[in-house]
Amino acid sequence: MGIAMTNHALSLLQLCDSSFPIGSFSQSFGLETYIQKNKVTDADTFSEWLHVYVHEQLAYADGLAVRLSYDALDIDDLDRIWELDRILTVQNLARESRDGTQRMGDRMLNIAEAIYKIPVLTTYAQKIRDKQAFGHPAIVFTMIGHHLQVEKNTTVLYYLYSTVVSLVQNAVRAIPLGQTAGQKIIYTFQQQLQQTTDKIMKLDEEEFGVVSPGLELSQMQHERVGIRIFSS
Amino acid sequence: MSEWTGVLDLVMENRQGRSVAKSVYFQGAFKVMRPVYFNKNSYPCYYLLNPGGGYLDGDRYQMKVTLGERAMLTLTTQSATKVYRTPTEQVYQETVIRMKKDSYLEYLPDAIIAYKDASCYQKNSVYMEKGATLLYAEILTPGWSPEGEKFSYEMLRLKTEIYMEGQLVVFDHIKLHPASQDMNELGFMEGYTHLGSLIVVGEKTNDALLDRLYEVLQQEAGEFAFGLSKLAVPGFTIRILANYTQVIERIISVCHHVISEEWNQMKPSFLRKY
Repeated sequence: MGIAMTNHALSLLQLCDSSFPIGSFSQSFGLETYIQKNKVTDADTFSEWLHVYVHEQLAYADGLAVRLSYDALDIDDLDRIWELDRILTVQNLARESRDGTQRMGDRMLNIAEAIYKIPVLTTYAQKIRDKQAFGHPAIVFTMIGHHLQVEKNTTVLYYLYSTVVSLVQNAVRAIPLGQTAGQKIIYTFQQQLQQTTDKIMKLDEEEFGVVSPGLELSQMQHERVGIRIFSS
Repeated sequence: MSEWTGVLDLVMENRQGRSVAKSVYFQGAFKVMRPVYFNKNSYPCYYLLNPGGGYLDGDRYQMKVTLGERAMLTLTTQSATKVYRTPTEQVYQETVIRMKKDSYLEYLPDAIIAYKDASCYQKNSVYMEKGATLLYAEILTPGWSPEGEKFSYEMLRLKTEIYMEGQLVVFDHIKLHPASQDMNELGFMEGYTHLGSLIVVGEKTNDALLDRLYEVLQQEAGEFAFGLSKLAVPGFTIRILANYTQVIERIISVCHHVISEEWNQMKPSFLRKY
């Protein structure tokens, strides 16, 4: 059991690698706007941004959705999954972030389909093709975590971790920061990821999708940022 | 659930090209004034008012607005919505809007001012049919306290859900809870005190309109920041951060003008408040 669980967690870890090709390297989710406005300029200011992004926007939307869709998969309530897919997409009022996330969800689903035989993933892919679903990485990730029998809170934690790793890599390129500085941020952030996971596990469902006004504004403003290396 | 403090039910219909109320019902601490047809418009403006002067502890309000096919309506408030201290139970306001095919609604209420230790939850659900057009605005102020301290309220929560032909197409959830959020911090209000939103759902939305709105807002004077982005369905959101209610009102009004010109070939009326 112990060894099997470890291997399962290892399989999920594969999705957390920043080189897992779902296109997260081209999504900054508004970070680039802060960089261009000289509000994020170094490791400290980036960590500040990352803190708010993870504790707020990511926790209230993606993070909570991982937990809720895990619960729905437990009782095989697929309608609930499609509902979460929709609300996750439409609560994202910044077009680039919404479209970028959708593309990432789509790619993650394609790769997962090639690796795993998970019936619900196949159904999800079909629903997206039929334009009855949008596709969201948080849901694809949860389907895989649930299939691998990785515990719910670990699935949440890994999802947050995968997001942070990609964002740090993007910050390293864009600010720029040294590779070592980037790794230090990821290391320092581990405790916060645990805290955010605990928060998500206790969050009331009513809290879903709470907006962080400044973050959202920067994501909307990115559409008209002059020179850009990211598509959100 | 317990009884409502105030109830309002307004049904509009299009009668040979003119929008009129089919029925108006209100009870308790919720009222509408007689409709005003500005500039010989074919549709009226209704002003909502709260005869008590503000929302009190545990108050619960329900508003239902229904627009028949091709019916048009402007809905606003007579003055700002004041929410007083809520020591035992938050104030709750529920708004349910139903819009039939090709109807048009501008719901542009005044700002919400939450007093010290006030909590308020406002939930809006809009059910639209194809061809319907919605303009919805909201303005949140930092509230009011005797000491002039900002953000002294407990919590403001505004949830808006918009459905098109039964499918959720917009979900917006603003929650300001100053005790647990550092308002000035990066990512939140970022040094501003007022938050405004304009959500527009309408089939006529196109990139040219968004570009024009962007240009116009770029040229507006005053200290504010804004974001403008398309929805997952034809429509868009404008989010505004500023330091004065008047600045947000002006921005919303400017956008309202542009949209009215482009879509209805008319100038919107100045919503006179007495």
